[in-house]
Amino acid sequence: MLPKGPAKKVTIYVNEDTRHHSGALWHAVFTYLQHKKIAGATVLRPLMGFGAHHQRHSCDSEATMEHLPIRIEFVDTEERVNEVLPTLYEIVRDGLIEVQDTFVIQSAREDQPARESLPKVWDRGEATMLRIYLGEADRWHGEPLHDAILKRLSMMDIAGATVYRGIFGYGAKGKAHKEHFLHVSEDLPILISVVDQAPKIEAAIDAIAPMIVDGLIVLSGVEVIRLVRGTRSEGEAAPPAG
Amino acid sequence: MTQASRRGKMPVMPSFQPAKLLRLHFTERDSYRGQALYKAIVEKCREMKIAGVTVFRGIEGFGETAEIHRAGSLSHNSPIVVHVVDTAENIDRLLPLFEEMMDGGLIAISNVNVLRIQAGVR
Repeated sequence: MLPKGPAKKVTIYVNEDTRHHSGALWHAVFTYLQHKKIAGATVLRPLMGFGAHHQRHSCDSEATMEHLPIRIEFVDTEERVNEVLPTLYEIVRDGLIEVQDTFVIQSAREDQPARESLPKVWDRGEATMLRIYLGEADRWHGEPLHDAILKRLSMMDIAGATVYRGIFGYGAKGKAHKEHFLHVSEDLPILISVVDQAPKIEAAIDAIAPMIVDGLIVLSGVEVIRLVRGTRSEGEAAPPAG
Repeated sequence: MTQASRRGKMPVMPSFQPAKLLRLHFTERDSYRGQALYKAIVEKCREMKIAGVTVFRGIEGFGETAEIHRAGSLSHNSPIVVHVVDTAENIDRLLPLFEEMMDGGLIAISNVNVLRIQAGVR
């Protein structure tokens, strides 16, 4: 699966009727990408277009329907793209190949392989604990600040975060947060606690601090014991316990 | 591995100040001079001009008496955790007061680095 982070996006424009050996060129390109196990590719048929000959090709009338463009696009890591580019260059004799930098922020698939059969490993290490204290009524662009922070953290691939609602207290604003009987106070204290490696916590703070108007960010070093399933390949030694 | 190196990494972030995080563990039924202990502690913090304090109610738990604390059971005795983050000096001032007010439970202190964000102060 394509990892999150920097990647390359390749777009190829060819004519629908350009041939490659006995078939269509666009089909040959697509088959090649599939064969090379590229993360994913899409073939699009546009409504209209023109190319080097400045001749308009469109679906409007039969007269202009010849030589309609086909657009093939795919995204993969720089390494994989560099692997397939020489062959694409070789087979796309008539057309355009464009490569651009992109950033993958979400690449997920639902049918995860069954995890139960994988070995269970307790991994021990050091990490950083981040605690963020806010008020429940704090907002970020109209949505509750703690929701917005949680979404932001999940987008940054942070290992995990937990939101707690306090029942009483006061904070930076100096006003009491209090849960009344039969009366729901709108500004109870909120604690978000996050545990991950120091560099990821630092990046999270840089992203989150500007969202907070009133609050407290607290950092501490912690020892973590984490359950990992089957991420270690066989034969690789487990780290010494303790 | 030594105890100190196990404790994990605290990133050195600019504008963060060293501080202490104090956690008090007791139960909802604990009281101090006829008032719920957690309320008395929040009042004491205010009196001592502590910047902030937060009270959390746990769902379930047990402490030194091994008696399970849980809401909804007859006793209505959920676990309570109070967080106070402040300078080492202020925490040292608070500690003897809390020790006097608490009649059982647990006090935990950790070294932390803190960034306080206040409206209009940045």
